[in-house]
Amino acid sequence: MAREVISTGNELAAKAAIEAGARFFGGYPITPSSEVMHVASDLLPAVGGVAIQMEDEIAGISSAIGASATGVKSFTATSGPGISLKAEQIGLAFIAEIPLVIINVMRGGPSTGLPTRVSQADIGQAQYPTHGDYASITLCAGSLSECYTQTVRAFNLAEKYMTPVFMLLDETIGHMHGKADLPDIEAIEASIVDREKFHGDPADYKPYDVPMNKPAILNPMFEGYKYHVTGLHHGTEGFPTEDAQQCEFNIERLVGKINTIHLENNGLDDLPDYEEVDLDDADICIIAYGSIALGAYEAVKKLRSEGIKAGLFRPIMLWPSPIKRLEELGRQFENRIMITELNMGQYSREIERVIKRNDFTTLLKANGRPIAPAEMVAKVKEMM
Amino acid sequence: MRHTLRFTGVGGQGVLLAGEIMAACKIKNSGYGLKTATYTSQVRGGATVVDITLDDDEIRYPYANEGEINFMLSVADVSYQQFKNGVKPGGIIVVDPNLVHPTDEDRKKWTIHEIPIITIAKEEVGNVITQSVVALAITNTMTSVLPKESLIETMLSKVPAKVHEANKKAYALGESYALKAMN
Repeated sequence: MAREVISTGNELAAKAAIEAGARFFGGYPITPSSEVMHVASDLLPAVGGVAIQMEDEIAGISSAIGASATGVKSFTATSGPGISLKAEQIGLAFIAEIPLVIINVMRGGPSTGLPTRVSQADIGQAQYPTHGDYASITLCAGSLSECYTQTVRAFNLAEKYMTPVFMLLDETIGHMHGKADLPDIEAIEASIVDREKFHGDPADYKPYDVPMNKPAILNPMFEGYKYHVTGLHHGTEGFPTEDAQQCEFNIERLVGKINTIHLENNGLDDLPDYEEVDLDDADICIIAYGSIALGAYEAVKKLRSEGIKAGLFRPIMLWPSPIKRLEELGRQFENRIMITELNMGQYSREIERVIKRNDFTTLLKANGRPIAPAEMVAKVKEMM
Repeated sequence: MRHTLRFTGVGGQGVLLAGEIMAACKIKNSGYGLKTATYTSQVRGGATVVDITLDDDEIRYPYANEGEINFMLSVADVSYQQFKNGVKPGGIIVVDPNLVHPTDEDRKKWTIHEIPIITIAKEEVGNVITQSVVALAITNTMTSVLPKESLIETMLSKVPAKVHEANKKAYALGESYALKAMN
């Protein structure tokens, strides 16, 4: 049986983290994400966990990476400026393969930008948040319920693929207050993924000695297995190396463990990477994600009531993008796609890359205000 | 049927709470309710707007569609001027006359009631913080969007027990001022 709660997106993301098994939060408050930390501070001690407000953003993520290396599921929460500060440590988590969930409640940027206002301008940042080569997993909540369910998923993917996972909310979804239907706690507990462990002789333990496209098997610190965790390129035992073959293997594996699995299965787990509404008989395909999709549902309804067959494609996993389905939509809707997002076209560029055309219409905004259904309706009518 | 309500004020006045109470009450009565707030990065004094959408059917878009708002209540001129045009022609606007100054044109366009919300909370209830409950009572009395007993119950569940009596008084006062203004 589902649970009905009245809450905000930020509160639900924090609740989800703890119910997904997180027992450590390290962070630094920043609008519009601070409530994630408030709730983590309330709930974690009650389940034997720890929430620490560190001295800055960098220390926030560093403590979370450290906690995760000891086997404790960990997370941090911030907004775009905080991700910028955390960039170097995010790179460490990628190359050392430390699972971590990073919640980003997006606000207007760049720099301090528009602290209290909504934006989706960190989409590109989530794909490449730090220097070097790697592939990122990024989920984007499109409803209050998804602030919960996708955060649980983010933890499971982090553990399964031994990688930092970005959980994107935006100011609207993070702060809006309403009803959410959550899966039963038993269903959540049954879905929990824990990282793989090596159970053999400590002398044989080589955490990075894994095949191409497979994640590292990193035993928690302090359990009798030697460890060396470094941001330098490392060999199979974790110690630094500059061996050309090894370095090439490392990067191909780091990128491949995320991207190839996606291409083979069109998904990193059994959960849907996107939602489709009324697309079967549609003449026009609106593509929107996050809080902007909330307006798009109403735009589709309004357009249909006026006899215009519109449908909605809403990506949930933004990175890696749902390539296979986007390619199909590209073929199905020549000249009839309208992409709407709260930035200057960051995801539109990905869609252009995938469908290999730019014959779509965009409705973009970057002034900290939402996009109203009426604006989408007007834009679609211009396309007719 | 969809009801779209808007509260406007300045940061720190507590207009957020009234919106949360209304959304929660609608949900408890098997409907859908959403509250969103837009505010500025000023700590205090920045224009704040709270949109509340209530419906028996599911609501997705959480903001009021401009020009579709049935009812607005305002306790600060800066935000009144900025957000009044979201109210549909003929809609109801309640203002605190000590703080908000509608133009003659505004009075032709909308039904404007003047109720000294802050003074009522400060002097008659004796606690300025109860202004959000005075506002809540005025809103529901004028719009009848929610069952009164259920709304009071939801309100009491969201405020500390030690101020229950003050808030009950605030509700009763808000209701009687609203009834007087409507007659």
